[in-house]
Amino acid sequence: MPAIVLDIAAGWATLLLFGGGLLLLRAPDTLHRVLALDILVAIVIMLLTILSYLRGVSYYIDAALALALLALTSTLVAARYVTRGGPF
Amino acid sequence: MILDVVGAVLLGLGLLLATVGLYGLLRIPDIFQQLHPAGLITGPAVIVVLLASVATGSGKIISSAVLVLLFVLITSPLSTHAIAQAARRRPRRDRDAAGRSR
Repeated sequence: MPAIVLDIAAGWATLLLFGGGLLLLRAPDTLHRVLALDILVAIVIMLLTILSYLRGVSYYIDAALALALLALTSTLVAARYVTRGGPF
Repeated sequence: MILDVVGAVLLGLGLLLATVGLYGLLRIPDIFQQLHPAGLITGPAVIVVLLASVATGSGKIISSAVLVLLFVLITSPLSTHAIAQAARRRPRRDRDAAGRSR
């Protein structure tokens, strides 16, 4: 892919990150915050993928895989925490 | 040449989906209705951006992207379902407090 397309895509994804931060700041309670952090992680996964295309190396996508695993675990535990007052 | 166009279109489509979902999230106050645009971002937007890896033509990048894609396909509905279940089962006073603070 031409580098200009990837540059524009990286800039766009960074702007989306600001939108996710605004969502996190406007969250009224805990579940909204959990949802906003989930969205932020999804945007960071997209950003890491675009960075991997830009540099032409594959290990940024592996970092994205680890981040997705962490996001799943933290979302499940935080949702359970809201329901029962503890992670277990 | 054709692969370049396909990759650019897929990247643009993914980022457009993410933008639409983020706008919906910022407009909608209720958590159950917010889960719909949230699923748009964590599911299709990420998947379409990962599908754009075919345009790089590198085997390493494509195989890593396919692994992340399969993982996202499994985990995105799981986390959405966990949040919805927590919103339904949480104590009544929390739900009322969230409902009023629009």
